[in-house]
Amino acid sequence: MSSTMIFGAWISVFLTFGIFSYLYKDNPFYKFAEHLFVGVSAGYWTSIFFWTQIQPNLFGRLWPKTEYTDNLWYGIYKGLSFFSSTIFPVGGIDKGHALQMIYLIPLALGIMMLLSLIPKVNWFARWCIGYTVGMAAGLRAYGYLNSNVIAQIKASAFKFGNFDQPFFSLSGDSYFNSLVLLVGTISGLLYFYFSKSHTGLFGKISRVGIFFLMISFGASFGFAVMGRISLLIGRFVDLIKYSNQDYNYATLWILPVLILVLAFSAYKDKAKNKPIVNEK
Amino acid sequence: MKTITDLILKMGKTDRRWIFLIIALVTLLPLFFPIGLPIRATEQTRVVYEAIEQLPPNSKVLLSVEYSPATKPENHPMTISVMRHLFRNKHKVYITCLWPDGQFMAQDVINMVAVDEFNLTYGEDYVFLGFRPGNEAVIKGIVSNIRKLYTVDVYQTLVDEIPMMDGINKFTDFDFLFSSSSGFPGTIEWVQYAADPTGVPMSSGVTSIQVNEVMPYVQSGQMKGVLAGMPGAAEYEALIGIKGDATSGMDAQSIAHIVIVLFIFLGNAAFFIERKRSKKY
Repeated sequence: MSSTMIFGAWISVFLTFGIFSYLYKDNPFYKFAEHLFVGVSAGYWTSIFFWTQIQPNLFGRLWPKTEYTDNLWYGIYKGLSFFSSTIFPVGGIDKGHALQMIYLIPLALGIMMLLSLIPKVNWFARWCIGYTVGMAAGLRAYGYLNSNVIAQIKASAFKFGNFDQPFFSLSGDSYFNSLVLLVGTISGLLYFYFSKSHTGLFGKISRVGIFFLMISFGASFGFAVMGRISLLIGRFVDLIKYSNQDYNYATLWILPVLILVLAFSAYKDKAKNKPIVNEK
Repeated sequence: MKTITDLILKMGKTDRRWIFLIIALVTLLPLFFPIGLPIRATEQTRVVYEAIEQLPPNSKVLLSVEYSPATKPENHPMTISVMRHLFRNKHKVYITCLWPDGQFMAQDVINMVAVDEFNLTYGEDYVFLGFRPGNEAVIKGIVSNIRKLYTVDVYQTLVDEIPMMDGINKFTDFDFLFSSSSGFPGTIEWVQYAADPTGVPMSSGVTSIQVNEVMPYVQSGQMKGVLAGMPGAAEYEALIGIKGDATSGMDAQSIAHIVIVLFIFLGNAAFFIERKRSKKY
């Protein structure tokens, strides 16, 4: 086992127990692990975003190696290359792209987004936010309409016309399941219709809708619990693995130390908060 | 009777930290002393297995990895099992990631399955295209022109120089898609922007918390089955006949659930007893 692996295991065990320690109460171990997680994630994401998209797909299209010449445009590139030959390697970027000057627009939008950090010119950022929101809305409108509305209606309501299906089936298509689906959808939708008071027949139907919603929430809760237990199992499996000799008994060392520190801290807090009694 | 109700009321007021400790213990003990509870594949898992089983040899399968270490215990075993199944049936696997962390999760699976177990050749049996930022836009890019989005693979090799990429220009050039997903962007986006508009069949493995969201697409036939969390992964391990991390975690999963149900029952009982008593007085 390499020393890097052992060191990684010790860090992993410490951070796992650091996060778990929140179940006892908020403490510096938890805070440290939490802040480290956020910081490392931000750093990792930024680095990955840059090296998988901005450098190869943006800069790679603006200064491709295949069209490298001694003109003004590549003169700018040489200047950039002087500052960082890793991002802008000598002779152009070789990522299989041809020169596409239209990519100056995303470059400009990206710079404008960064200008939001400067209060005087932060209004520039609104342009690219507007572009992003508009693009995402347009992109999603089609996806949702096609897959979530049309396909779902087709798959549920149209099943009534399928005469080959049985009357009852536990998991497959059946008239009974189609009926449950229809009643659930309509009563669930009526529950969220607030332009009419929920009384009389309308109230009764919307009450049926509540039952469907509760069953749905119950199923979601059950799956959420299952997911959380799975993650707990995953952490325990790692902790057990790191408790053996190969990892210098990382779990067995860190757990008691952490418990002792937390216990000592709790004892000190208790002593500090003890009411002062004036004896006369 | 009064003693029992008093006991339930007392248990209802137990400090939550004791409950955490009990859950931790009942989860931990089966990991040390496995019971070996039987695992039977549900219909949804079986559909995923059959969909892959029925692909003709040398099919081009896109495997998209969109999860992070946070959900590794749920997604990793299913990705490993599906990759084993694909390679065992001699399919060509193209790996992409919609999540940046998915890149090293996928690399881990590749090392374990493609390199160590099957000793396959990179670029001929599998290719790792890696992560591109952009969420749904990446899926749209793969659907319309994958060559424009991926000019280099994850190791910075030009895609044009990879033999397996011959004839792969857009999403419809693939025969099947499997998405191992734990959130956005993931399975739902693949259905909306790739599988539905093109008709390329797809299956997915998702975290437990996502199952309710994804199930309507399975029921409507927009997806071929789904592997639902760790139990789904364990069922798939049983179907391919190679036990893994998911199978070994299922005893703990089952016992922890029984204890949680017990706590829910006791909590509700305490609530109703207390309400009844407060009405009385």
